[in-house]
Amino acid sequence: MAAPCGRMASRPLFRFLSRFSGICVGHTGIRHFSRASVSRTTAKSETEGERGGSPWTLMAAVCLQRLPVISADYNPMEQRFKDMLHQIELEKSVLSDHELRLLEEAERMSRKQAGDYDSDKEDDVDQEILLAQDMEDTWEQKLKSFQPAPRVRADVDKDLSSPERCLADSLVLLTEQQVGGEKMWLLPQTQWQEGETLRQTAERALASLPAGFKVTFLGNAPCGVYKYKLPKAIRTESCVGTKVFFFKAILTDSPPPKPEKALFLWLKKNELEKYLKPAYMLKVGNFILDL
Amino acid sequence: MNPIYRKFQASVTQQLFALNQALTSCRVAPSIQHPVWCTASVNERHYRSMPTHGIGRWRHLLPRNAPKKKKEKHQMKGIFSATATSYGTLNVKVSGHDMTVVERYSQYIHNLCIRLGINVAEHYALPTKSTEVMLMQEQGTKMYVDAVLKTHERVVQLSTLNATLCPIFMDVLLKNQPEGVELSVKEHTEADFQARFKTRPELEGLISQIYQ
Repeated sequence: MAAPCGRMASRPLFRFLSRFSGICVGHTGIRHFSRASVSRTTAKSETEGERGGSPWTLMAAVCLQRLPVISADYNPMEQRFKDMLHQIELEKSVLSDHELRLLEEAERMSRKQAGDYDSDKEDDVDQEILLAQDMEDTWEQKLKSFQPAPRVRADVDKDLSSPERCLADSLVLLTEQQVGGEKMWLLPQTQWQEGETLRQTAERALASLPAGFKVTFLGNAPCGVYKYKLPKAIRTESCVGTKVFFFKAILTDSPPPKPEKALFLWLKKNELEKYLKPAYMLKVGNFILDL
Repeated sequence: MNPIYRKFQASVTQQLFALNQALTSCRVAPSIQHPVWCTASVNERHYRSMPTHGIGRWRHLLPRNAPKKKKEKHQMKGIFSATATSYGTLNVKVSGHDMTVVERYSQYIHNLCIRLGINVAEHYALPTKSTEVMLMQEQGTKMYVDAVLKTHERVVQLSTLNATLCPIFMDVLLKNQPEGVELSVKEHTEADFQARFKTRPELEGLISQIYQ
């Protein structure tokens, strides 16, 4: 296998600590991540003589994903099953403290208004000033004044360059890059340089994009590889083709959207086929999870 | 073939016949001597040449166990350290306010690890923490208790995690993370293990007295 993979195996791993949080009320769009700490061991650079001349140019690419922000809607069968389970649970359940209190107080009220009411004969002397029914009313009032954000926004969904579209699905970032005279849509990639790990190359690929994304890499090992042999006319002895190694990363924070022309596309997996070349799509589709 | 077979049969039948006769003679004797034969013959142990010698033995059929040890102190399972191709002992901590969701998610993580062949060292729960949410009253300066939120934590401890498997594993976990649940992946330390135990103040007091 090419030299860099062997190199990665011999280097000690980065300590990897991350903290991911679920959605909180009032957040728009992106799930928040916080990193506890990342301690890196410094990378040793290998001596020149070890790496023999390999005819492949190496590149590293980043599969940057925006994770789903809300859970997907249920399909009809799931909805029916969920209702049935809810019904079963409700029928099997026992009254809670709050409900018992409501019943007691309703009973007490009816006894008070019965006519022959004697407060001295009451067993429980401690009567709450604030009845449970009043508390329930205040809670319902508060709930009415709460406006949840809409789950699906049709106009944002259609804008392919916004990372806030399709909150229930995971999206992958594509950029338009010039490869050998042709402009095509690819996962962001750059060429590997001597003395750096492939992961550092991938980070450099991300940093070279004009938008400043805050990103967490999921691991030091690549998740996929794409081999491209140059057409026979251009092929030389020292350059047979390119090998692209893909790394997975998660978007932690998106920058404020710029009004300029769309340079990026955030696409779901089924939309990727329209923009990627078939051979490339075959390899890339292997590691992109459509969950 | 046939003559041999017939001879064999003949010999077998002869033996059976002999046995039958012996049995009938045996059966007669106990009934005369001991009318109630159940209690007496069970307590009699047959002699070593008797075919039924050792008929009631059963202890040799039980699995060999070491004698029961005294109640042992909770030993910590060894903490693995990171190597070039795999991470060390990791703690995947799931926390949230809804206990059913948190527990189900931690069970999902455990099952996923079994399926992917990742060794799960332990799967335990940390004590629940209650948080009281206090709001200011609209008219007045007193704070009143609005709600009590309980934070539940479940920890799935993985003994090792392959570096190549890590991005796939993390990706699946993150994509299936339910709302309202926090996920955190940290390395396991001895301090984490000791934090699960209750402190014993009297014991510590006595120990400090010894060493003074």
